[in-house]
Amino acid sequence: MVTKYAICLFAIATVAFAQGCTNPQVEATSFTSLDATVVTQIAYITEFTLKCDNPLPENYALYAEVEGKPLTAARVGENRYQVSWTEEPAKARSGTHDVLILDEEGWANLRRARRADPAAAVAPLIAIQLHHPGSYSGPWVNSEVLATALSILVAYTALRHKSKILA
Amino acid sequence: MSGKANKAFTKEEELLLQDFSRNVSTKSSALFYGNAFIVSAIPIWLFWRVHALEVSSSLAWFAMVTTASTWLLALAYRNTKFQLKHRVAVRREDAVAREMARKLADDKKMSRKEKDERILWKKNEVADYEATTYSIFYNNALFLTIVILSSFYILRSFTPTVNYIVSLTAASGLLALLSTGTK
Repeated sequence: MVTKYAICLFAIATVAFAQGCTNPQVEATSFTSLDATVVTQIAYITEFTLKCDNPLPENYALYAEVEGKPLTAARVGENRYQVSWTEEPAKARSGTHDVLILDEEGWANLRRARRADPAAAVAPLIAIQLHHPGSYSGPWVNSEVLATALSILVAYTALRHKSKILA
Repeated sequence: MSGKANKAFTKEEELLLQDFSRNVSTKSSALFYGNAFIVSAIPIWLFWRVHALEVSSSLAWFAMVTTASTWLLALAYRNTKFQLKHRVAVRREDAVAREMARKLADDKKMSRKEKDERILWKKNEVADYEATTYSIFYNNALFLTIVILSSFYILRSFTPTVNYIVSLTAASGLLALLSTGTK
C-alpha cells in the first residue's frame, strides 16, 4: 500500500517537474503609448520569447502580475507570449514597471500565499522590466490661455496709460 | 448777435476751431478706417482656423460684420482721440514750446507773433499725432481682448457663426459706446 502511494507521488512529481521550465531565459520587446493627446488610455505591451532547457508543452500557460494587477500572458507563437494592459493617462506613471511572470504552479502558490497575507510575494519565474518614458498630454499652457493672458496684459497697460493721460 | 455769428471767421480762428473740433482730417480718417478694417478682419482668421467656422457659407456674415465693426471701431478711434488730444497737448506744451523756441531762436527776421503761431501749430501737430496713434493702440488692444475673452470663454458653447457675430459686434459696439463717455 505504502509502495503504491510512493510510486504515485513520484509520478506526480515527475509530471510536475517535466512541465516546469528549467533555467528560463527571456528576450523581451515592449511598447507604450507616448502621445496621450489622441488616446483615452495608455497601453503597455511587452512581448517576450521564453527559452527553457527542457521542451515546453503546447499549452504551457503563463500569468503575470504588474503592481498588484493580475494578468494572463497571451500565447502569440511558439514560446512567444504577450502581456498587455491599459491605464488612465492620469494614473500612468513614467519609469520602470516590473512585470512578474509566473507559471501555473507559481501562480497557484502566489494565490495561496495571498490568501493568508495580502502583501505576500513569491519568486517569479522571470521578471521583465518595462520602461515607460511618460506620455505627452499637450502643452503646459493652452494657446488660448496664453493669448488671453497676453491680451489682458496689453489691454491693462493701455487702460492704465489712458487713465494716466486723462488724470 | 446773430449778425456777429454769421461773420466769417479769420484764418486763425478757423485753425483754432479745427484743432478743437471732433472732425478729423482726411489723412487721419483714412488711417482710422484702414486700421479699423484690418483689426476687424483679423478675427476671421481666428474663427476660421481655430473655431472651425465654415468660410464659404459665412462670406456674407464676414462682409457684414467686418463692415459694421470697421465703422464702430473708427467711431471709437475718433472719440478716444478727441478725448485724449487736449490732455496730450497740455502734457506736451512745455517741451514742444522749448524745442521750437530753441529752433527758431536764430531766426531774427521772424516776428514774435509768427513764432507763437508756429509753436501752436507744432503743439497741435504733436498732440494730434500722439492722440491718433494712442487711440488706435488703445482701442485695438481692448477690441482684441474682448474678442478673445468672449469667443473662447463666454460664447464657447455657441456655434462658431453665432460666436463670431456676437463677439465682434459686442466688442466693437462696446468700445464705440464707451468712447462716447466723458471719462
